[in-house]
Amino acid sequence: MVSLFILIPFVLAAFLPLIEKISKRFLPDLLTNLGILFLLIYTMTYGQQIVALERGIRQLQWFNEQLNITFALDGFSLFMLFAIYLVSFGVTLFSIDYMEHYGNKGIFYALFMIMVGGMSGLVLATDLFTIYVFLEVSAISSYGLVAYGLKHDELEASFKYLMLSAVATAFLLLGIMFIFGINGSLKLGDIADRFASGEYRFVIGICTGFFIFGFGLKAALVPFHSWLPDAHPSAPAPISAMLSGLLIKVSGVYALARVFLNVFGLNPAISTVLMYLGLISILVGAILALGQNDIKRMLAYSSISQVGYIILGFGAGTNLAIMGALFHILNHALAKGLLFLNSGSVEHSTGTRDLDKMGGLGKRMPITAATTVVGSLSVAGVPPLNGFWSKLFIIIGLLQAKAYGFAFAAILASIITLWYYIIIQRRAFFGKLKENWKDVKEVPFWMAVSTIFIALICIIIGIGFPVVISNWIEPATKVLEQGINFAMRWLRL
Amino acid sequence: MQILYLISILGLVVFSILAILIKDLLKAALSLMGASVFLAIIFFFMKAYYAGVFEISVVAGLITVLFVSTIGLIRSDDFKESKMPTIIFPLFFIWFIIIDILILSALVSKFPLPGFKVPEPNTFGEVFWHNRTFDLVGQIGIIFAGVFSVLALFRKRDKNG
Amino acid sequence: MNPGVLLIPILIPVIVAVISILTPRSIKGLREFISVIGGVVLVYFAWLLFDYKNLTLNLPWFDWLGFDLKLYHFNAFTLLWINIFGLLISLYSIIKMANHPRVGEYYFYLFLTVAFANGAILADNFVVLLMFWEGLLLTLYGFITLGNTENTQRTATKAFIINGFCDFCMIFGIALLWYLTGKASLSEISHEPVRATGLYLLSFIMIMIGALGKGGAMPFHTWIPDAAIDAPVSFMAFLPGALEKLLGIFLLTRISVELFVIKDTPASIVLMIIGSITIVLAVLMALIQKDYKKLLSFHAISQYGYMVLGIGTALPIGIIGGIFHMLNNAIYKSGLFMIAGAVEHRTGTTEMKKLGGLKDEMPITAICYLILAAAISGIWPLNGFVSKELVIHGAYETGFVIFAIAGWVGAIFTFLSFLKAGHSIFLGPRNKELPKIKEAESPFLIPMIILAVLCVVFGIYNYIPFKYFFEPLLEMHPEAIGHHYDFSAHALDLINPVAAVSIFMLLIGLVIHLYGWNKAEKRAYMASEVIHRLPVLSTLYDWSEARFFDMYEQGIKFLRGLANVLYVAIDRPIDYFYEKTVTLTGQAFTKILQYAHNGHYANYLAWCIAGLVIIVYVLLSIIK
Repeated sequence: MVSLFILIPFVLAAFLPLIEKISKRFLPDLLTNLGILFLLIYTMTYGQQIVALERGIRQLQWFNEQLNITFALDGFSLFMLFAIYLVSFGVTLFSIDYMEHYGNKGIFYALFMIMVGGMSGLVLATDLFTIYVFLEVSAISSYGLVAYGLKHDELEASFKYLMLSAVATAFLLLGIMFIFGINGSLKLGDIADRFASGEYRFVIGICTGFFIFGFGLKAALVPFHSWLPDAHPSAPAPISAMLSGLLIKVSGVYALARVFLNVFGLNPAISTVLMYLGLISILVGAILALGQNDIKRMLAYSSISQVGYIILGFGAGTNLAIMGALFHILNHALAKGLLFLNSGSVEHSTGTRDLDKMGGLGKRMPITAATTVVGSLSVAGVPPLNGFWSKLFIIIGLLQAKAYGFAFAAILASIITLWYYIIIQRRAFFGKLKENWKDVKEVPFWMAVSTIFIALICIIIGIGFPVVISNWIEPATKVLEQGINFAMRWLRL
Repeated sequence: MQILYLISILGLVVFSILAILIKDLLKAALSLMGASVFLAIIFFFMKAYYAGVFEISVVAGLITVLFVSTIGLIRSDDFKESKMPTIIFPLFFIWFIIIDILILSALVSKFPLPGFKVPEPNTFGEVFWHNRTFDLVGQIGIIFAGVFSVLALFRKRDKNG
Repeated sequence: MNPGVLLIPILIPVIVAVISILTPRSIKGLREFISVIGGVVLVYFAWLLFDYKNLTLNLPWFDWLGFDLKLYHFNAFTLLWINIFGLLISLYSIIKMANHPRVGEYYFYLFLTVAFANGAILADNFVVLLMFWEGLLLTLYGFITLGNTENTQRTATKAFIINGFCDFCMIFGIALLWYLTGKASLSEISHEPVRATGLYLLSFIMIMIGALGKGGAMPFHTWIPDAAIDAPVSFMAFLPGALEKLLGIFLLTRISVELFVIKDTPASIVLMIIGSITIVLAVLMALIQKDYKKLLSFHAISQYGYMVLGIGTALPIGIIGGIFHMLNNAIYKSGLFMIAGAVEHRTGTTEMKKLGGLKDEMPITAICYLILAAAISGIWPLNGFVSKELVIHGAYETGFVIFAIAGWVGAIFTFLSFLKAGHSIFLGPRNKELPKIKEAESPFLIPMIILAVLCVVFGIYNYIPFKYFFEPLLEMHPEAIGHHYDFSAHALDLINPVAAVSIFMLLIGLVIHLYGWNKAEKRAYMASEVIHRLPVLSTLYDWSEARFFDMYEQGIKFLRGLANVLYVAIDRPIDYFYEKTVTLTGQAFTKILQYAHNGHYANYLAWCIAGLVIIVYVLLSIIK
């Protein structure tokens, strides 16, 4: 049942605080991890079946009465679900040990599950307002999670994040309002149908602008990115991983892609704007990352840059570019999640995030150093890791779309990315071991397991990328390529 | 009718700005209440009775009560704010309004009329339970998220949080 | 037969390799055991596939590209022999590498090499071929680093760079060919081979460089003698001894016979010239070596020249000769290296000055040496004679007698150097400083004996290899269609002009050796000094010793000089420019952006709203 994707996270979330009262140590961790693992396996088995049969629209029954809930489980949604659960699983494994710092793990897991449930709902929605509601669900839980540490920086960062998001969602609502005014219905299929006729270009233009603001802020596109470098570093490491890895892509990029490619249709205007925004994000993110001393802040700017690649890919619109962008969503989620988790490990062991104070940690923390190397090389796009293939596809897609300048800038930014990642590696892990870090220990068991798990997946996907592409990404690409026709044929029920 | 509309809109805007600008927290909360009352009046004019009722009861009622009781509990520290916003903001605001009016008058003509026959407005219950059932799940999620966030933010720290 | 069987020769060695590297050092014997078992299994499957002769496996990746493997007569034969040599080396390594500190890595590289070699041979399209070919580069590097002299790293890097350069040329050539023919599948192109002229010639030459580099023809040979000292001897026995020649000639044959038509084109001449030069120059270098392993490595290079010459003739007789020589050379060269290893294992050295008179203590080894050395020198009726005669015959028939002369000259000096080596190591007075030694252990002896026996069998009963291995290959050659060739009937004929000249050459060699031995006061290892001191040759030799002719060394020196010039004249000024303008601008830009991200909420909101306004404006103006 497709509804399991939403029911399980929410039900678990509802009961977790109670369960924590019974068993503080063991049950909350176990239940959360099992839940996410189950959902992951469910996606891979049942979800694949559904997508293959192309019967993704479900109506839910409740006591023989038709409930008006429809889910859309197509190739694109399935792929996002897969990405969400895969990365969440790694993060929850990590949190088993890491969140001991912060205490009250039951509430943490509850908020976490609500965030995951919100993301799942967003991905399965067939209605514009539903997308909005679930976007708010995950956003609100993320506000709480960012501020989880309760220190000054964290509260301030969470507040800024909240306020900026509020403005963004207000404009989203404005755009939705315009669309409702013209259409009378907010179902994606109906909207696509009516807008296909081409009389409403003006409205599409304005709504596109508002949606770019709204979804673009959630996706951290330049110039709406400024909350990210403050919010992500202050959050606890697993949450930074979730935010940077998943939330900005699901609530930002997924919604953007779904609306622009399937509902509005990718006309040259939207395409150009998206490509330029993507390009600016890539460059600004990369340049800003160079000057940072704080690992997590640097990683946050790097996320801005990588999301730029994804948006650039979607904007270009050719088959390979979309494939590359989708693949990059998965790869970056994995690699950036891994890097943030490792920064958490470093903070756990040394107590600092300042690169100037670190040095030579690789000798004392070999697992962390090795997995960070894997993650960095993946983001920088070094073969044969996964990041290389996705970036290659995007660049080839750009060349196919004759956007030579963009391709050149993308390659240039890749080099800059590699540069600053090597700088972190060197400053944090290699080099001489500073005196005060002599007794630093390697991270506890679950933290090590989760990072090794994600690193292995990066390597496996890098080597076995044809399998991943044909199973997961090609169905998603087909969905997006069909554009408006897809929404009209399918999402109208 | 037009005059009443205009007054309500003006009241909404003015009270919202006051809510941001006023330094005294209590007065600011009350300005928020005033803004929501005017908004409810606008809703009533548009025949969206349910929306108006919800607006008054939730914002002007529940939220204002929460704010006022919270404000009553805290000590007010005097924050030294810079003088800049007080000077710049009204100037910016006036300029913004002028540009806004210009843009809107240019755009309004280009905006197409609704292309569908306006259907009978459904009752609130129908809309809420039947047409928008999935959103209910989302709303429940939001409520939980809010509650848990509050619990998380106000938890007793057993370790060095 | 299920096409999936084609994956087995690739997967099994990988599994063995992974197990070898993961086994901890404390478990003794496991690695050797599974490597021998793995070797046996591989030979079994290779034999099965050889019988079956025709199989295709297609695993599609994209619409236009897939993982294609294809078995046909040529690569079935090569596959069989690669795995046979793999097994022999595994047996050999049981003792030789037993105490090496990194023995797990050794088996890892060994079996990965076998896996990649199997894959490269079975590959049916360029991408798969290149994938496996490049993998061989990495294992080559890893293998050499297992040696433990002070120059090991340097030699490993040198081998990597030289081979990498050749591979790079090969990739270029393949890309060009793909572009010109529009096809990526080797079997498709071989249905209509292209003439090697014009742009096709360039493509042929580039791929040829790759094949030559793999086998170590001149001028890509300079890493092999260095590796003889700096790398483990079992590596030498397997790679430069057998595998690399198999792979190099495999590729060269494929391009010369299947993909391109080289008869009467410049390509054929180029191949023959390179082959001849390699034969003569390498054997001259081999002659003066004082270390047995280095001597063998130069011979490996020289014998490769024969093979290249054979293929370059583009005549059936020459091509078959070249391929047969490939097989024979693999047999006796790896055997000779194994002997070097056995001697080194027992006495601790392979410098001929320090050895002597070992025939009494290592009789079986000495007999094997006798047979193998006779084979390599081309003495009747062993296999070396048969294949060399074919090659020289072919060279003669092309009309360019000079290539045949090169082959004969090479024969003289080959015989000469092996006389010297055999005399110094096994005959002559026993060096007092050596401790008393025993014969080599059986894991050493078994492979050597097998190889020596093969030399005899393939020589006298040469119809066996002809009938089973080579005659089927002739159907590839356009000229051969319709003719029936029977090489074995006349293979051992002595009554023809070519054979007579060859035997005469051998006699000359014997005479020179005896003369030189005498002149050097009966010290066998100095027997070749008489050649060394000849007027022109001695200068050339001196230059050679100073690495004057080593392209790699010269290239490095040149690059260093160039780098210095560039540094002073260009780099410093550009650096200055960068520092003053670019870095400062970059820093300024970063500072501006950092200033903009000052944490002020109002600031951020302003950016957002400004962005929104601009975007909406842009959209409305360009949306149509």
